[in-house]
Amino acid sequence: MPVLSLDAISKNYGPIRALNGVSFDVPQGSVYGILGPNGSGKTTLLSIILDVLGADKGGYRWFGQPGSPELRKKIGALLETPNFYHYLSGRENLRITHSISGRGSEEEIDRVLGAVNLQDRKNSRFSTYSLGMKQRLAIAGSLLGSPKVMVLDEPTNGLDPVGIAEIRQLITELRQQGHTIIMASHLLDEVEKICTHVAILKKGELVAEGRVDEVMSDIDLVEASAEDPEKLMQALKEFPGAGACRMEGRLVYASFEKGMAPMESINAFCFSQGVTVTHLILKKKRLEDRFFELTGNTSHA
Amino acid sequence: MLNLLRTEWLKIRKYWAFWGVMALTALSYPGINYLFYKEYLELTKKGSSTGDMAKMLMGNPFVFPENFHTIAFFSSVFVFIPAIVVIMLVTNEYTYKTNRQNIIDGWSRNQFLLGKFIDVALISVLVTLIYFIVALAIGFLSSKPENRDIWAKSNYIGLFALQTFSQLSIAFLVGFLVRKSFIALSVFVFYFLIVENLAVGFLKAKSHDEGRFLPLEISDRLIPLPAFMGRFNAENYKASLAAIGPHIGYTILVTALVWGICYWTNRKRDL
Repeated sequence: MPVLSLDAISKNYGPIRALNGVSFDVPQGSVYGILGPNGSGKTTLLSIILDVLGADKGGYRWFGQPGSPELRKKIGALLETPNFYHYLSGRENLRITHSISGRGSEEEIDRVLGAVNLQDRKNSRFSTYSLGMKQRLAIAGSLLGSPKVMVLDEPTNGLDPVGIAEIRQLITELRQQGHTIIMASHLLDEVEKICTHVAILKKGELVAEGRVDEVMSDIDLVEASAEDPEKLMQALKEFPGAGACRMEGRLVYASFEKGMAPMESINAFCFSQGVTVTHLILKKKRLEDRFFELTGNTSHA
Repeated sequence: MLNLLRTEWLKIRKYWAFWGVMALTALSYPGINYLFYKEYLELTKKGSSTGDMAKMLMGNPFVFPENFHTIAFFSSVFVFIPAIVVIMLVTNEYTYKTNRQNIIDGWSRNQFLLGKFIDVALISVLVTLIYFIVALAIGFLSSKPENRDIWAKSNYIGLFALQTFSQLSIAFLVGFLVRKSFIALSVFVFYFLIVENLAVGFLKAKSHDEGRFLPLEISDRLIPLPAFMGRFNAENYKASLAAIGPHIGYTILVTALVWGICYWTNRKRDL
């Protein structure tokens, strides 16, 4: 049974359609990345499954049951920003988390604060914390009681490179211990490195979903360069079968359906268009490439 | 229920602004009443004809059992101080989005609201306790031992508690709907001190006293002017005492309506 099943969830903010019929299942033990550009509906989706927002249509089930406060108590969650009482210390705030959710114990509060390197500042007021420390406190709160399911919205937001590496390591360890982690991010590299599954959203629509390797596997990516990259991109766009094209510095990337990137023909076609290709390879695809392909974005997130 | 109480306690236990305003309440109630009591003593102790006349006209509003009525009346003017606390408690949750986190951590929306209802009820009890202690202290100070019919007007303790809870509930509603602390405080204090008083006065002069059905005035009429002020217009005083009964019903109705609006809004509103 999937940990979470979404069934055609839709949500509008007035005339703006934030989510449109989004459905997918989150398998047990997965690290499930929800990926999308800003405004694609990631946080709205997580807000709905945590009952902070109501869906206009559709529904969701946790462990095969409709969402409820009792089920939420078993889920460690960080949504959008760290939300804590600014006049209380980190430790006092986690006592409230413990009191509401029943997760963990007084003793465990110190353990999770240690796990996110906040032991030294546990008695300082939340309002005195830096952005990174606030984020780490929120992660500590979601770790309390070692819940089997965690929902993390942009978990590395505000962290320095060391903090980012630590959180990624933590997530990897949690997965190895059998935890299921649902994670929204716009950091493609992050999702590619730590997620087993991914759902890609674009303007509230689900454009791809599945195992990370499967989502990435259905395109071929051609990397090329020429004296005049603009002209090269134009030529590649006109090549029959070419998908999205983009330029990064002097390199031009064009995506093709799996097995449909004939390198010799591309070279000949470009030459016939007056472009001499100086570099042409079939690249190993990255999630980033697939993301741009699917979302139609022309610049990096 | 115990869990809600425990969690709300954890929230306010180290909230120094909360305790600061509660301390202000604890000081203002004895302060204002003692001020009036001292004034009364000054006015009546002179042994002059003015003093004797004042005594004759006013009696002693601070002796048992009249003290419970007089002190309830003066204290009720300062309900806007604990109202500040109530508004702070609810708007803080929205400002820092901790209401969201409470839901994410496993409370239902109803539990969140029930927690706040408990806060308002407890603050009302605390404020009533302060009023009660002040009334007792001034009663014992001013009454002669043989004249201590202490509890004859203790019904004002209940009326004061109901009035406080009703008016703090309205303060809560303002904070709950507005969500921004400064705006909510301004709206409530401006309405409490100015708008409603003007409206009540205007409706009394120009119409048939429909102002008595305004949200705060409904419970204001649970505690009419003290008896010594009533002597200037005995007819009116009698009518205001007779109105207490119906206004208990109206107050309970308004308070229930306030929490009903909160319940409905809380169920429907995105967090």
